Amino acid sequence: MRRTLIRLGIAAALAAAVLTVATVAFRPTAEAPAARTVARQVDPLADRVARAQQHLRDVPGDWAGWSALGAAYLEQARVTADPGRYPQAEQAARKSLALRRAGNGDALVVLGALANARHDFAAARDQARAALRVDPADADAYGVLADALTQLGDARGATGAVQRMLDTKPGLAAYARASYDLELRGRIPEATALMRRALDDAVDPHDAAFCRTQLGDLAFGRGDLRGAADHYAAALAADSTSIAAQRGRARVRAAQGDLPGALSDYADLTARLPGPSYLIEYAELLNVAGRTAQADEQLSLASAAQQLFTANGGQDGLATAALALATGRPADAVTAARAEWNRRHHPDVADTLAWSLHAAGRDAEALTYAKRAISGGAHPSAYAYHLGLIELSLGYHDEARAELTRALGTNPYFSPVDGPNARRALAALGGSR
Amino acid sequence: MTVKQAAWLAVGVLLAGSVYALGPGAATASSHREAPLVAADPAVDNTDLYAFVSPERPDYLTLIANWQPFEEPNGGPNFYPFATDATYTIKVDNDGDAKPDATFRWKFQNQDKRGNNTFLYNNGPVTSLDDENLLFKQTYTLESSFDGRPFKTRATGVPVAPSRIGPASMPDYNTLRAQATRTLPGGWKIFAGQADDPFFLDLRVFDLLYGGDLSETGQDTLAGYNVNTIAIQVPFKDVALKGDAKRNPVVGVWTTTERDRVRVADGSSYGGKVQVSRLGNPLVNEVVVPAGLKDTFNATPPERDAKIPALVKRVTNPEVPQLLQQIYQIPAPATPRNDLVEIFLTGITTKAGGPIKADLNSQLNNADVAAGRFTPSEQLRVNLSVPVTAQPNRLGVLGGDLQGFPNGRRLTDDVVDIELQALAGAAQTGKLVDALAAGDQVDANNQQFLGKFPYVALPNTTAVNSQGGGPVAQPQAAAPSTDSTTGIGAAPAGAGIPDTDQSEAAAAPGAGIPDAAEPVAAASTEGGTWMTKPVAYATGATGFGALILAAGLFAFMRRRRRPAPPQPIFDPEQTTRM
Repeated sequence: MRRTLIRLGIAAALAAAVLTVATVAFRPTAEAPAARTVARQVDPLADRVARAQQHLRDVPGDWAGWSALGAAYLEQARVTADPGRYPQAEQAARKSLALRRAGNGDALVVLGALANARHDFAAARDQARAALRVDPADADAYGVLADALTQLGDARGATGAVQRMLDTKPGLAAYARASYDLELRGRIPEATALMRRALDDAVDPHDAAFCRTQLGDLAFGRGDLRGAADHYAAALAADSTSIAAQRGRARVRAAQGDLPGALSDYADLTARLPGPSYLIEYAELLNVAGRTAQADEQLSLASAAQQLFTANGGQDGLATAALALATGRPADAVTAARAEWNRRHHPDVADTLAWSLHAAGRDAEALTYAKRAISGGAHPSAYAYHLGLIELSLGYHDEARAELTRALGTNPYFSPVDGPNARRALAALGGSR
Repeated sequence: MTVKQAAWLAVGVLLAGSVYALGPGAATASSHREAPLVAADPAVDNTDLYAFVSPERPDYLTLIANWQPFEEPNGGPNFYPFATDATYTIKVDNDGDAKPDATFRWKFQNQDKRGNNTFLYNNGPVTSLDDENLLFKQTYTLESSFDGRPFKTRATGVPVAPSRIGPASMPDYNTLRAQATRTLPGGWKIFAGQADDPFFLDLRVFDLLYGGDLSETGQDTLAGYNVNTIAIQVPFKDVALKGDAKRNPVVGVWTTTERDRVRVADGSSYGGKVQVSRLGNPLVNEVVVPAGLKDTFNATPPERDAKIPALVKRVTNPEVPQLLQQIYQIPAPATPRNDLVEIFLTGITTKAGGPIKADLNSQLNNADVAAGRFTPSEQLRVNLSVPVTAQPNRLGVLGGDLQGFPNGRRLTDDVVDIELQALAGAAQTGKLVDALAAGDQVDANNQQFLGKFPYVALPNTTAVNSQGGGPVAQPQAAAPSTDSTTGIGAAPAGAGIPDTDQSEAAAAPGAGIPDAAEPVAAASTEGGTWMTKPVAYATGATGFGALILAAGLFAFMRRRRRPAPPQPIFDPEQTTRM
């Protein structure tokens, strides 16, 4: 036993040391973003956690208090992207259930939200429904249910859950979900208006940063670089540690031609959150900059992160497929995307499956899924570009021209790699008509 | 070591880490859209409601509603605005049908001159509400509706007393308070702005229900924190049924916060409001309501209360007396608790068939109420004909002081001790339980209330969490001013006339701190013929309120527990030792 512990200690120390070396070595420059050094004067979320902890020290039998602590941990995990809070949230919720099983919808909501965070959307849906059997008007449970159904691709059910949430507890959480629901139906102006409404209700700086980042993403999605830049800047002013906002800023910088600035942002944010998606984006940008060796290193790290995730029992077919595509393994991408499609029918999954099939040369099949991706109303540039190239491969030139025109018309900056490719393809088709 | 080697080594270690260092689920998935689930939304969070006959204007009813608990003074550039997308209301039912007969409605607007250059709320000392140094401020519109008629604007552009940023920024807060206290045509007085949280208790007393003891009480959990207050004072005739407070002296009140109803189909507001918060009796809406009905109850108008069987059952079979019996061998009263139903849902009256043989504060006792239309509902009910008590007893009706809770609620009423006594059996025996005589040992607020409208103390200025973990009473140079009710007759929807008289005035009787040691209740027997058995109130009414309130305190504690200084020693592993 003691020997095992010693080994564990060595392993951990080694891991820390090597990771430090690797991180430093991978950084193109040794920039230290000023945003990270700004201290937060008041952190309402930390205050909430501290208050719940203090309360439970005094009244450890308060079952509802344990649920509240679990919910606060989950919010912390979300804003910091630190999954280390997940086990703590789960322990708190299970402690609550151990103290009080009957009528304890709060704990079920925490477990459901946790399942969503871990991408186990079916389990999240079931937990939310269990919570709703306890309280048929539990707004938080409807939030968990809406999140789960959205990701599972049950658009109608998700919309219904969001409406119940709006009818029960209108406010930031409900408005943000309603905004996403509208976005997935292609109602971008309405989605933007509701996210602004959510922003008006934001009290916690983290919440304000979230709303600003979403507004930035919505602005970026329609090619409004200036608007997007302003929102991301405001998000980072509210929460200097927001990774999503920094990633948004990086995309704007890349679109504006500030490649060093964009790379610097990606270097920093992937050092803080070495998740597969961001690492793949980083690699993509490094390739654009002609730094292919460094790009490969990012992909290696992405592979490691992905293996780590799956080794821990995680399931994320989208990341697996994206990684396979980025490393030239289209057959693996198809396998992963199809497995994810068997689990859930979110339009992002349809789009990824279509693009994987296209990469594998199976365009006839791909077309079905590419059209499925846009069937709900959402039609961002990436979907249009993928559909257009699939149609081009199938010889449907008019349709391809229309989709590529749409992709570039919606957001000419949608991808530093695919954007120029779309322009070349469109030119080859004789330009947009 | 080459970069490549480092990369692969890192990969290997990462994988090793998955076995050794990290538990299942510790790795992050790629991001999907994760929105806040339980977002902080304190601006719409009702905390307390008070309703009492005005001590210095005995023909006027004062209504005070508070929002946004735990406003930390001086924790940085903190400012606690009212929500501009919410509607704040206080509603009055004078005929007992559980529907509002008078509704007062507030909406707030921002005036933000900060631009993009600063996040600070002021740019130098603020000596008046018009001071150019005050970069962010709010104003409000007050509307009212009576007997279902359309809303009429009573005041617009009225300034909110700003969050008290600190003595350097706001050297004379009295002036700001006075300028935000307005008199309107018709004798109405209004105020909105920051104030000391007038609620006082030591929440730790309720640890006893988890097997703790009372040895650590005596600290006002809420001392030092501020709240956002809305206060209004109106003549009896404006709220009493048929404008006749002599024939119809009882009114029931509750406060709500509402937001627009939004349709997800197109993102529009499509008419109507969603009630997001509701409050009548103290703590009740968190407690009487079963956990599984909390959102339903907050969204429910009182007229539907009696149609929720689970809610009624919670009143007839409360949980807290069972806990007290288990822990302290204090026998729980037999169920069903029809006395609680009577008191909680109808007001104390002999006309509803309930067991309490007294008539105190039910609309059924109004001469012009049609009993057939009476609908039980949860409201804070006050009998306007009970005269102002010269020396209020903090134990209210239980102490023989019929002007106190649960006949309305004064700022000084010690609702926690009242309820503790009743829970422990005072309602059954008619005698105080010695073991609980001290209650939570917090008998009064940490700050003295003012002798005139809006009564609540000025906001605290010392950061609570900088006080070594323990709240410290802060003497405040409160400077209540005398009335300046002259000048009524200005434009009907102006911003009212500010209090300009800054002269000192002693705290009026009835609004000061009661003597915590009073052994005998101040008698008040001249309340009218309908009040025949004060003792009955003590043994019944407070028992009811206490039970309900104590039950709710679990929920209440979570919301309003005094935040402790950061405690890095918390060990999450303890959560697994069950």
